[in-house]
Amino acid sequence: MSRVKANAGQVSGGTTKKGFFTRLGKQWQLLLMSVPMVIYVLVFNYSPLWGWITAFQDYKPKLGIAGSKFVGWKNFEWLFGRQDFLQSIRNTLGMSIINLVFGTVSAIVLAILINEVIHTGFKRFVQTVTYLPHFLSMVIVVGMAQNIFASNGPLNQLLLNLHLVKQPVFFLGEGKYFWWLVGVINVWKEVGWNTIIYIAAMTAIDPMLYEAASIDGASRWDKIRYITLPGIKSTFIILLIMNIGHLMEAGFEIQYLLGSSLVMDWSQTIDIFVLKYGISKQQYGVATAAGMFKSVVAIILLFAANAMAKRLDESTLI
Amino acid sequence: MKKFIAASLALALVVPTLLPVHAFADDAAAAEEPITLTVFRGDPGDQPTEDNKIYQKIKDEFGVSFEFEFLAGDLDEKLGMMIAGEDYPDLFDGGNSADLLIQNGALINLLDYVSPEKTPRLWAHIEPQKARLINKDEDGNDVLYIIPNYGLADGEQIVNQVNGPAFFLQKQVLEWAGYPQVHTLNEYFDLIEGFIAENPTDENGVPYVGFDILCEDWRHFCLINPVQHLMGRPNDGEVLVDVSTDEFHTETFIDKPYAKPYYKKLNEEFQKGLISKDTFVMSYDQYIAQLSSGTVLGMFDQTWDFNDATYALQTAKMYDRTYVALGLVYDPEYVDGKEIEEHYVNGSLPNVNRGFGISVNCECPERIVAMWEEMLSDEWQLLFNWGIEGEDYSIENGRLVMTREQYENTLDNNWIMANKARAFFESSPKKQGWILDGDLAGNCWEPGNQPEIVFDQMNEYDKAFLEKYGYQKFADFVNPPIELAPYGEAWQIDYSPVDVDHQDFLDIQDKYLPELIMTDPDNFDALWDEFVAEITPSATAFSEFMQEAVLAEAHKVLDNQ
Repeated sequence: MSRVKANAGQVSGGTTKKGFFTRLGKQWQLLLMSVPMVIYVLVFNYSPLWGWITAFQDYKPKLGIAGSKFVGWKNFEWLFGRQDFLQSIRNTLGMSIINLVFGTVSAIVLAILINEVIHTGFKRFVQTVTYLPHFLSMVIVVGMAQNIFASNGPLNQLLLNLHLVKQPVFFLGEGKYFWWLVGVINVWKEVGWNTIIYIAAMTAIDPMLYEAASIDGASRWDKIRYITLPGIKSTFIILLIMNIGHLMEAGFEIQYLLGSSLVMDWSQTIDIFVLKYGISKQQYGVATAAGMFKSVVAIILLFAANAMAKRLDESTLI
Repeated sequence: MKKFIAASLALALVVPTLLPVHAFADDAAAAEEPITLTVFRGDPGDQPTEDNKIYQKIKDEFGVSFEFEFLAGDLDEKLGMMIAGEDYPDLFDGGNSADLLIQNGALINLLDYVSPEKTPRLWAHIEPQKARLINKDEDGNDVLYIIPNYGLADGEQIVNQVNGPAFFLQKQVLEWAGYPQVHTLNEYFDLIEGFIAENPTDENGVPYVGFDILCEDWRHFCLINPVQHLMGRPNDGEVLVDVSTDEFHTETFIDKPYAKPYYKKLNEEFQKGLISKDTFVMSYDQYIAQLSSGTVLGMFDQTWDFNDATYALQTAKMYDRTYVALGLVYDPEYVDGKEIEEHYVNGSLPNVNRGFGISVNCECPERIVAMWEEMLSDEWQLLFNWGIEGEDYSIENGRLVMTREQYENTLDNNWIMANKARAFFESSPKKQGWILDGDLAGNCWEPGNQPEIVFDQMNEYDKAFLEKYGYQKFADFVNPPIELAPYGEAWQIDYSPVDVDHQDFLDIQDKYLPELIMTDPDNFDALWDEFVAEITPSATAFSEFMQEAVLAEAHKVLDNQ
């Protein structure tokens, strides 16, 4: 969708002013069709930006935006003066990057494996089984994880029986494990779902390429390396750009549910911080300031990733 | 057969569409238009059944039905969202955070509707405690936003069991030890140690847990509150108040030297394996499940916090695994040889700012207040508390009594959902204590306090257990209530002006206390010093605020006497 738009823009941008309006007139049906979406975006994405003004206020719902007092940059100063907010930025980025790397690598590997399976029935079975966890609520997934990773849970029993550890590992209570736990749980839950788009990209690769490669004596590895991987490269880059735009969102549910006071320094993300100090303590100005900070960083990241992709002369999103 | 199914399906589809019309026609005869009130309850709960008999009566009498929303998740977060959107129900129970609603102007001033002339019953209900309940707003007007849901009781205070905080111990441990008296921290842990050494597992081979410490979210009071009680005070939340002088010296206790021995003791017990690491990351559900399995020998908690586990144990007839509430104090060795007198049970006090308020979005506050006024009549109070005469209870020689079956019904959650107006009544103004006037004088308003029920319906194990001690009731394990201090109980004080400091104060405890309990004993002193250094700024800010608040609260009551 976005790519189509981008191309259209390039074409029209290249013509003279008069030609532009003639073309615009010719495309009135298309323009008409886009009107509802434009209105939707204006109403739901742009008009709420007005509320950003509360980031500079000591906002009280009783008084409203008009009646609340302006405090300048005080909300931002408060935020960045707090050790735990800085920690939550670190945690958000750390867990996001782990999720991004784990999620992408696992999805590509699984997609290739599934793609290599010849038996269709087995292929479908594996695909279905791996993406089913996507539909489970995070509450259930975390509940299962809490049992599995408990000091007397099955994983610790296994490690003890294999004599890999002498004492049960306190997975849930030590900060150093938390990010990795989140990464592992996310992979388990989402890997099947994430493969779908890569498998779709692989089906789009012309089978003749594989045939030709076989004739040239390419092994299975060679085919994966020289045909499958390059074939999904553009999909990979588009997804990467989109995901980088979401780096400031490391998820909320999983940290909220799995975290405890013992691992708070490592589990608190920006969203949880906002909920705790912004919403619960009615510091709505602070909550908006944090949200604003997040959006600005996300936009910068998005453009940076896009520029990088452009430099690598690859397909871009914007 | 097919036809029959089709017909019943068609009926099922048609009947509900007819019903409202029918109901409307019926109520049109009543004086007032039927309304549905939206209700928010600041704690988790269950929806009543559609055909609940008490709600049906309310609907018939007042034309009022209810749509309940219960809390899921964190209360402050939920209220914060509601306030931001000014999205309020008609009836609002903000739980322990109702102060937020008041500050943000979400509730109406009930004094516009409640007065000795307009609502004599309601007025008589709050009058004895009006110094505590009625405040001044910024402009100096009298305001009352919430009529307490509990604590406005008639007659002498009833204490059959400890309802609040205590150290709990499974009855089988006391039975095993030959029914000893347990008064100090060391005696308590010696018993648990001794029992577990002899019985490492229960009859199914599941290992016993010596002592559980629930730390989840706001329930972390199990971790952070005990020290004040060990020092001989009832529950003041996170501060210790010296009530011996009129200055009411108030300080946070967790950062003081006298808090150290408790956590040091827990550290010792942790090293001995009595406390499991998992207790610090346990969710409330896991905690209740663990207690319900009967394998936890002891914990510090409040009785209402683990009711579900108690019911489960009773249903499974594991009476020896239910708990006795003990009032423990520090052994003299921990407090310079001082003998501390135990006071876990406080004098009764109104549950200030807890219960239903009426939101500013409600269109018929007058009607709700009129309904409460009517509901404070003896008939309605009996209906809410005891049920329907002949069906749920009977009156014999002027005494309110229940059969065994009727009594057991009242413990069954499914039965309650169909036969009690629990979600509404729990947060509404209600009579408690003794019935003082009329034919039924000398009975109790609440079945759970009625002597016939408390003593006669007690299971045989508990009866025999009490007999060994020569006690009448389980409250005899602790001292009788201490006289209520003029400021009430400090945990009721609204600390939102120092909200952020308070959050830091709690967070640091949540982080350090489990670490202190689990740390290497050699490292304990160093870690304790680090903890005190870290917590001092927020603890000081909170102490100073609470000192002023406690004094202000005390003067409000003392000056009005």
